[in-house]
Order: sequence, then structure tokens, then C-alpha cells
Amino acid sequence: MITLTPLRQFRFPVMAECINPDVFQGKSVDEIAQLTVWEGNKQKKLCELFKIEQSLAEAPSIVINGNVEEVRRIGSGMKSGEIVINGNAGMHLGEKMAGGKITVNGDAEGWAGSDMKNGLLEIMGNAGPYLASPYRGSSTGMRGGKIIVHGNVGTDAAVFLKGGTIKILGDAGPFMGFRMCDGTIHIEKNCGTRVGACMTGGKIVVSGVLEEVLPTFTIDSVKAKVKIEEGDSATGPFYVFLGDLAENGNGKLYVSKANNPHLSTYEKYL
Amino acid sequence: MSTTVNAVTCPVCGCLCDDIELTIENGVIAKVKNGCAMCESKFLSYKNEHRNKTPLVRKEGKLVPVSYDEAIHKAAEILANANYPILYGWSSTDCEAQRVGVELAEEVGGVLDNTAVVCHGPSILSVQEVGIPTCTLGQIRHRADLVIYWGCDPWSAHPRHLERYTTFTEGRFEGSEWKEYMNKVKASAGKKKLLSLERREIVKRKPEPIIEKVTVNKPPETLSKAGRKLIVIDVRKTMTAEVADYFIQVQPGKDYELMLAIRALVKDHELDVDQVAGVPVEYLEELVDAMVNCEFGVIFFGMGLTQSAGKFRNVDVAISLIRDLNRRTKFAILPMRGHFNVTGANTVSTWQSGYPYSVDFSLGYPRYNPGETSVVDVLLRKESDAALIVASDPASNFPRKAVEHLVANPLIVIDPHMNATALLGDVVFPAAIVGIEKAGTAYRMDHVPLPLKKVVEPPEGILSDEEILSRILEEVRVIKSQKMQEAA
Repeated sequence: MITLTPLRQFRFPVMAECINPDVFQGKSVDEIAQLTVWEGNKQKKLCELFKIEQSLAEAPSIVINGNVEEVRRIGSGMKSGEIVINGNAGMHLGEKMAGGKITVNGDAEGWAGSDMKNGLLEIMGNAGPYLASPYRGSSTGMRGGKIIVHGNVGTDAAVFLKGGTIKILGDAGPFMGFRMCDGTIHIEKNCGTRVGACMTGGKIVVSGVLEEVLPTFTIDSVKAKVKIEEGDSATGPFYVFLGDLAENGNGKLYVSKANNPHLSTYEKYL
Repeated sequence: MSTTVNAVTCPVCGCLCDDIELTIENGVIAKVKNGCAMCESKFLSYKNEHRNKTPLVRKEGKLVPVSYDEAIHKAAEILANANYPILYGWSSTDCEAQRVGVELAEEVGGVLDNTAVVCHGPSILSVQEVGIPTCTLGQIRHRADLVIYWGCDPWSAHPRHLERYTTFTEGRFEGSEWKEYMNKVKASAGKKKLLSLERREIVKRKPEPIIEKVTVNKPPETLSKAGRKLIVIDVRKTMTAEVADYFIQVQPGKDYELMLAIRALVKDHELDVDQVAGVPVEYLEELVDAMVNCEFGVIFFGMGLTQSAGKFRNVDVAISLIRDLNRRTKFAILPMRGHFNVTGANTVSTWQSGYPYSVDFSLGYPRYNPGETSVVDVLLRKESDAALIVASDPASNFPRKAVEHLVANPLIVIDPHMNATALLGDVVFPAAIVGIEKAGTAYRMDHVPLPLKKVVEPPEGILSDEEILSRILEEVRVIKSQKMQEAA
């Protein structure tokens, strides 16, 4: 196990895609210390920014102690191993992740789990905007794996979602699941507006309050419960909406009936 | 001696009107013909008292006049030693200066951003996701029979837009609606006069039969008239809405829902709601009929879409609507760009780096991720350690926290005038005004490049943006090579 402790509070953005169990694998502490990172527009060695220690414990592979919200691309493209961050994490955490596990005992900045293919990303605090959403201009969202956020999530999460499961125990911002075509999202508390806009497939479950459903969703039925994944389901009853009609979509939006009495006007169409 | 210069391009807004006539008397602009109020103001006040005539460097807290050489060396030192500098502005200068700016940003490993980031940047993000079916303003002038202004007020912000490119222009296949508009104005004035006479009891007439009150947002019968039609969709009745055939008042922040509903109606879907964003669905159906039945329609959108709730998703749905409409008729969409060369700033940045704005060169190659590499976000996260501002005034319009960080670090400003940012700067360069004292190239809002003319000489000894930036770049290279030699 490698323990990294930031030597100071970073002022400039630090690009550290080398903090990755696959890269550290088979390297000595001295070799890890020589890995290159960028701080602002200056190239540096990992040991100039972090105190690096090795212990005999096998798991987790990497532990970061301290706030590293300026450190971006941690665990980028990782395929195996485990990273634990005891503090806040920077942008692009676990982007293109294809396996392994990342746990953040704090908050994560934007684009966490962007373009994720597999693995588990667990954020104990809040997640910033664009959780599991692709970078600008790309239409390839998360394709597999699982993300659990114990706090709240910012705007535009799960955009272009193509697979996998996202579980949010807190509130979610607007445009959740924009243009998603597959995969499952479960928001245990309240959800921002325009959820599921332009979705063509997949499933979004809102157990809390949803202020309004987009006019291009049509009510289909009321269901008692809905399956989230193997061994996990949400209990309702839920209004089931289909949409988005603007995209001739066939996505399913489940909204808690008990928490959204204002949506009872839709019942006349059942 | 008096001379006249014809076909001058106006360096004010994105319309880039290129039919301005200037009268020059004794080397000074004396008269402006064909221009709007903003155009006249710029051409006639270029010599005002706010003009900076000498480079300034802050010494012991005060800006003191210095030579260009000293100011250039100081600016180059700041940029060469910075870890994460920002280079912002660019939209009110020519493409030639912007090109040097991209080279400088790459050399110093900084973040290059232009004013699109607080304006039509969201439009660009959407275009990258869904593409854009567009055309030139010339096509619209000659062929468009349905013009929709959504979230913009050209009558106030682009005063000659209607007159040169849309409703009030005489096109080859579509006529001007100016006469109809004047008739409407006369009828309205006559009605007002009659009401006034009635109030003063000069004229008495039979009380009019009570007719059903016109409902807000109800489409008028003129929507099915022949000729060009003008529709305005906005949160308030703007000056442009006053001249429109049909004005739809959308609830603030609900443009996205309205546009999405129109998309579903264009695809012949039934909606489960009675009204969307304050507009009854039956009226929307009539609007959709007008859209589908036109021969060539165009939507112009402004910051009412790009900077209200939803931002680039609003533009995304607008472009998607155009895509749907193009299955049934011919439609195009254009953003109403503000600064005269903001389109040029995006274009130059794209052909130099691959990205239109918010380009981060800190890793030695261009990276682009607005939200992460956009100047306002960089400033709010307090990441930058120096700034170069060219032809812009962020101190007046950025969020206060961002300005606080901007001025807390070394700040270089290149601007013809002493604006708020220049007053807070550490190195301030005066520059020749592009399009008046310096010739160059600018891109109109429809991506048509137009030449800017030099009509008068700049004040003595004043350099252009391009020359100042080239000399800073040269000096940065000298300082960097010295540092490398010292390190070796």
C-alpha cells in the first residue's frame, strides 16, 4: 500500500493521472517518486508534491490523506486495485475507469466517473456537476460500473448515460440523465427540474420531490415498486412516465406518488 | 480638406454593417452616414478624453508613464514567470491580433479565453454536441419568409439587423415589411388620438360592442398573412416585440420546456398538459403550423437563451428543433453575436488550436473544457497568477470574487481607453482603435470575414494590439531562452 500526503495546499491545477494502482504496480517508492505530474504549466516529480510512504498492507493499493481538490485525473483509466482518498478529490476522478474501486471520504469535484466503463466509485460527501458525464463535445457517457454518492450531486449528471447504475442518496441537480439511452439512476431524495430531458431509453427513479415533469413526458401507469439492480429495489407507489416524446424516446421516469401530490393531475390520462 | 470614405465596416456589433460613409475633415472624422446610434457614437468619439496616450506601469502603487520598451519588458517578465496565466478579451480586436494572442498563450502556457465565455459560449457547447444548420445573412435577406427572434432584442442591441438582413429589407424573393409596419404605427397613432379626443369629450361616439378580451399569447390572424412574418419570443415585450406580427411571452426560465413542447408538436405528438411556460398548447399548435408551412424560416437567438436557466441545453433544444423542422421545411438558426469580432475570436482560436474558447495550454498542448478551463471559473477557484486582458473590461462585468482575484495578481491591460480594468492594472498599454486607426479582418455573426478599414491615423507613437502583442511575444522568447541558458 502506498500512502500519499500532500506537502502543501496546491494553488495551481495539478494533473496527476499517474496516481493509479496500475501505474504504481511493481514500482518501488523511489520509482513512484520520479513519476511526472504537472502543476500549472510546470512539469514536476510526484515527490515534489506528495510525501510518499509504503506499508506492507495489501489493500487498498493507494491512500491519499488530505484535501486534493486541485489534483485532477486521479485513477484515470484504472483497471484494478483500490484508491481511498481521505479528503476532497479534484476533477475527472476515475475518468475512463475500467475496473477497481475508488472511495472518497469527502467531496468530489466535477466530471467524476466521466466515461466510466466498469468498477465502483463511492463518494461519501457531495459530487460536483457532470458526474458520470462525458467531456465537452463527446456523446459517450458512462457505459458500465456503479457510482454511489452519499451526499448531493450537481447539475448535468449522467448525461449520455449508456449503461451502469448511479445511486444518489441525497438531492440531484437539473438535467439529470440528459440524452441517456440506457442504464439506471436512483435519486433517493429530491431531484432538480428537466430530469430525463431528451432521454431515449433507460430508467430514472425519483423517490423524493420532483417539482415538475417535462411536458414531453406522457404518463403510462402507477407501479408499486421498481427494480434498481439485482437485489435492490425502490418501494413506491410510483407514477411511471414515458419519454422523451421530442426524441421519440422510450425512457422510463418513475416519480414517487406519495411525495408528489401535485402530479395527481396526470391521473386523468390513465 | 474634406474627403469621403465609402463602404467602411462598422466595428461595433456582430452585424458588421459595411455600408458606412465617413466624412474626414483635416484628418478627423466629422460625419457618419448610414450608421446606427452606436456606430455614430464610436466613430465620432474615438478621440475622447478617456483615451490613454502613453504606456503605464504601476510603481509604488501608482500608474506612471513609461516607454513602450519598458512596459513590454515588464509585461513579458510577468507572463514568462507565471505558472498559470490567463489571456482574456480578444473580441473587440482584429483577427491578426488574435492570431498573435494564440501564439503568445502557447508560448507562456496559459489559458486563452475570449468574451464568448460570458456570452455565446453555451451556444458553441451545444453546436459541438448537436451540430448547427445555418446560413449566411444574405440568404436570410433574400429568402426568409419567417423570422423568429428568441431571447434577443435586435431593435436595441443590433439596431440595423432588421433593416439590413431580415424583416425590413428588400430581398430578391421576399419584400420588406416596412410599409406594413408604418401603416400599423399610423393606425395605432390614429387610435390613440381618437381615444384622447374621447377622453376630452371633443368627440362622442356609440359605445363599442363588448368583445371577448384578447388572451395573452393568442396568435393574431395576421400569422397566416402572405409575405415575411416576424415572431418574437421573450420574457418581456421588447422594442422588437412591438414591431412583431406575433409576440409570445414565455415565463422566465421556461424557454427549454416551451421549445421541447414545440419539438414534440412538430413530430405530431399529443401532450398531456394544457399549457407550457404560460402558453396554451392550442396556440403553440398554431405557431407550429406557421413554422411548418413557411418556405424558409430562421431563428435568431440571444443571451435570453444562452444565459438563462438551462444555458447550453436551451440552445441544444433550439438546434434540435431546427433539425426536426428541416424534415418538413427549410429552417436555419443563428446566434446574435455581440462584439464585432467575437466570431473572429472563436474562428481564429479554432483554426490555431482546435478549440473556440477556454483553451488551456498549460500542459504544452491545447485542452478544452469550459467549467474547468474557462476564465471565470479559473478566477473563482483562485488558480491563476497573472493576467493579460486585451480589448475588454472584465473588471466591470465579471463576478466580484473573480475580479478580486484578477486584480490581486499582476495584471496587464491592452486597450485604447482607460477602462475599469486598466485603472486596476499593473502594466497598461494604449492601442490604436481597430477599424478606425488600424486595418484588419473581422468575422460577422454568420462567419463571413469582412475587412476593417483604417480611416484616420492613430495618435502619434501609438501601436496597434497586433504590434504590442508581437513585441511582448518576442520579449517572452528572449527571457525564456536566457532562463534556459542560466539553468544549463
